[in-house]
Amino acid sequence: MDVRLVKEIAGRLEERCVGEVPPPGLSRKDHIVKILYDELAKLLGGESEFSFKPGRTNKVLMLGIQGSGKSTITAKLAKLLTRQGYKTGVVGADTYRPGALVQLRTMCERSNVEVYGEEGESDAPAVVRRGLRHFGDSCDVILVDTAGRHKEEGELLDEMKRIGKAAEPDLALLVIDGTIGNRCYAQAEAFHKTVPVGGIVVTKLDSSAKGGGAIAASAATGSSVMYIGTGERIDDIEQFSSTRFVGRLLGM
Amino acid sequence: MLDELEISLLESDVAAEVADSIKEDLKGRLVGTSVDKHVIGEHVRESLIGIISDLFDGAGAVDLLERIRAKKDDPYIIVFVGINGTGKTTSVAKIAHMLRDSKLSVVLAAADTFRAGAIEQLREHAKRLNLKIVAQNYGSDPAAVARDAVLYARSHGVDCVLVDTAGRMQTSKNLMEQIEKIIRVVQPDLKIFVGDSLAGNDTVNQAGEFHEHIKFDCSILTKNDADARGGAALSIVKTTSTPVIYVGTGQEYGDIRPFSKETFIETVFGSEGVQGTEAAKSGGA
Ligand SMILES: Nc1nc2c(ncn2[C@@H]2O[C@H](COP(=O)(O)OP(=O)(O)OP(=O)(O)O)[C@@H](O)[C@H]2O)c(=O)[nH]1
Ligand SMILES: Nc1nc2c(ncn2[C@@H]2O[C@H](COP(=O)(O)OP(=O)(O)OP(=O)(O)O)[C@@H](O)[C@H]2O)c(=O)[nH]1
Ligand SMILES: [K+]
Ligand SMILES: [Mg+2]
Ligand SMILES: [Mg+2]
Repeated sequence: MDVRLVKEIAGRLEERCVGEVPPPGLSRKDHIVKILYDELAKLLGGESEFSFKPGRTNKVLMLGIQGSGKSTITAKLAKLLTRQGYKTGVVGADTYRPGALVQLRTMCERSNVEVYGEEGESDAPAVVRRGLRHFGDSCDVILVDTAGRHKEEGELLDEMKRIGKAAEPDLALLVIDGTIGNRCYAQAEAFHKTVPVGGIVVTKLDSSAKGGGAIAASAATGSSVMYIGTGERIDDIEQFSSTRFVGRLLGM
Repeated sequence: MLDELEISLLESDVAAEVADSIKEDLKGRLVGTSVDKHVIGEHVRESLIGIISDLFDGAGAVDLLERIRAKKDDPYIIVFVGINGTGKTTSVAKIAHMLRDSKLSVVLAAADTFRAGAIEQLREHAKRLNLKIVAQNYGSDPAAVARDAVLYARSHGVDCVLVDTAGRMQTSKNLMEQIEKIIRVVQPDLKIFVGDSLAGNDTVNQAGEFHEHIKFDCSILTKNDADARGGAALSIVKTTSTPVIYVGTGQEYGDIRPFSKETFIETVFGSEGVQGTEAAKSGGA
């Protein structure tokens, strides 16, 4: 986890531990743990879900570093939302990675979600525009999968900005690899500056990683974690729970 | 001072337990040495750099091209392993490109038969690089695909077989057994662990478990261009005593360069660090 953030949290922890008297019945140690719990949960924000506006198409843009799990989570979400009764469509706007569109199509096929994509096209914003036009107002939700990128890839960030303009998303979801270390904060900040991030997904939490990047990403974007990925299969997705997550972080 | 140096390591994504253990080594090295007060900070820093430098040197080196050329009568087989999404397939393509440029013939084995799009992804690389690929259908036995590729290479006099495998969490018992089987069946000359330079503490668990299961020979660290500080290299080397041979620096075929210990030290400790290596060495550290 981000070293600076840890220090910041430790500072607040110290302040509160010195300043507050444990409530009756709570040992000093338990009280400290409770304060830590509170502070971490506060950083992560409340539990949140999409708040879909009925009667119109809600557009969700998926963003993140290479290999973080965007395409997989797009397919997982498409299935989950479909099951929740939302008519869902997917636009595959990764025009770089070989096999990207086949990957997305294969995963969405199994849950009967339509994927709009153009094999061989290189203009991602144009794919987004045509994809949105293709679905028209036939969907409650349209998920837009994009190519991986990071904060040092200026041209790709610029492309992301143009994708953002083309999509005018109701929600941009930043997908964070659960194994990421210290650079998470700066990366999340750079994404947020380019296209405002409204929610976070943390993937690969079936690994041994604690997923501390979730806190850095929350802090950098001011948005909360909505979902977590817990495996490679289509149903390996869970609603985020900050209490369970903090428990995992603290190994309790 | 010690704490400050430890924080430099942590901030560079050296895993906490590795930083801790290096700090202990450092204390051991410093005990009983008497140094002029004015240069104590410099001395501690140089000792630390010396320790890190020794760790990298101790892990040895792998000259890929030389090894492949040295095996004349049979194809040289390399298997790529690692957790999901680190950059295995892309690294296979980059290495293939490098070998091809060195006039070595290459065949690719699509032994990730699980992840959606994995076969098409490798096939597209093969097409762009004008290379032969051996593949079967999704769901088929990855060890059988790898063996097919080896048989093909043997009968066609191909110099080198690069085996792409599915990403797997080191925590998955079944998948770790599957990779053991692939290794058993093809008996590779080299096993390369592919790690993500942006990963933090978890690198130790990944490298440790993969090494425990298949004793990989060396690593490639990818996505170094993403403003990574590179600490993962030290985590892997300290955990497994095997070298990092290349780092990935982008998404193009040419975006790969040999790992450099000096660059690592400079990134973690600043530019004086490199001189520090020399000083620490000549000081007999
Ligand atoms: N174990 C595990 N693997 C995951 C999870 N989410 C995604 N993956 C795997 O991680 C790898 C990368 O996932 P992708 O969905 O292709 O990632 P991406 O962000 O779309 O990658 P790019 O498009 O190349 O940037 C694949 O092997 C996925 O199967 C997860 O929660 N757990
Ligand atoms: N910027 C950058 N991106 C990279 C690098 N290496 C790989 N990538 C990208 O990372 C993503 C994942 O790479 P893959 O090669 O598919 O990773 P993998 O390990 O084969 O993934 P799975 O097979 O799903 O486990 C792709 O978008 C690659 O283009 C690198 O050195 N720098
Ligand atoms: K050979
Ligand atoms: Mg993708
Ligand atoms: Mg792969």
